[in-house]
Amino acid sequence: MRARDNPFRSDRVLAVRYRLLHGTWEDLFAQLEALGFRAAIVGPQGSGKTTLLEDLKPRLEAGGFSVRELRLDTESPSFEPEFLEDLFATLGSHEVILFDGAEQLKWAEWVRFERRSRAAAGLVITSHRPGLLPTLLETTTTPELLRGLVDQILGDRAAELRPLLPGILERHRGNVRESLRELYDHFAAVAG
Amino acid sequence: MKQLNIELADAKTKFRPGETLEGVAFWELADAPRSIEVRLHWRTQGKGTVDLEVVTSVAFNGVGARDRRPFRITLPIGPYSVSGTLVSIVWGVELVSEPKGEAENVEITISPSGEEVRLDRMPPK
Repeated sequence: MRARDNPFRSDRVLAVRYRLLHGTWEDLFAQLEALGFRAAIVGPQGSGKTTLLEDLKPRLEAGGFSVRELRLDTESPSFEPEFLEDLFATLGSHEVILFDGAEQLKWAEWVRFERRSRAAAGLVITSHRPGLLPTLLETTTTPELLRGLVDQILGDRAAELRPLLPGILERHRGNVRESLRELYDHFAAVAG
Repeated sequence: MKQLNIELADAKTKFRPGETLEGVAFWELADAPRSIEVRLHWRTQGKGTVDLEVVTSVAFNGVGARDRRPFRITLPIGPYSVSGTLVSIVWGVELVSEPKGEAENVEITISPSGEEVRLDRMPPK
């Protein structure tokens, strides 16, 4: 199968948005507001933290906030000092920082970042571990969640894959992103 | 009728590297766009991160809400339109208007044969 025809190609997978397992977006936003818009999305790799953070952006903008997006990962685990100076020098009181991968900062760097970010209207982070900010939501994955995503991506063709999904998710220790990559490989092996 | 449209000359969508692509862009919008242009681009699709490059663009000036403009683009020599099991490179000609970001895309292929190169059908060495 050509890569462009693979239903699990990355642009299609990225188009699938976060699914709240409990409650509504309004509930989540109210909870975030109750936390003073300073909170953490906590969960293991491939559980949807980044997607959830991205999906908060339009809701915050609809609520009248501007959004600054920051990202760190293992390949790029820290900010340049000049970048942070510029960020905090220009940060407005109506802005919310969405910071993906906050656990990458060393503790002292985090403490300093958190303190300086108080000039903003909010700070929402993702992290693999709790404790950096009050937890807004713990992202978890289940076979049902993966099944729902596969149904959304494949539509009527999803039925034949359903028996495979629990095993795939278990093999990837609950990592939905890696599970979807395995499904990409499954389709890539199909001739055509 | 769609709001944004691209018609390629002779409805041709298969090109060779360096060939000239000609067409007409036409649109019917509620208001005159702040800017409107044709972009020649390629993007990757597949298992990894999506890469996208706008190779060249043709901007139209002094346009109305309803207008029609010809364009001509000399195509680059590469990369070719290609597909394997891990990645595809897909070329397109896109008409994009601002501020609303409306867009219309026509997919094309660029290769020596005019057909997409199929890496997954090449005989093993």
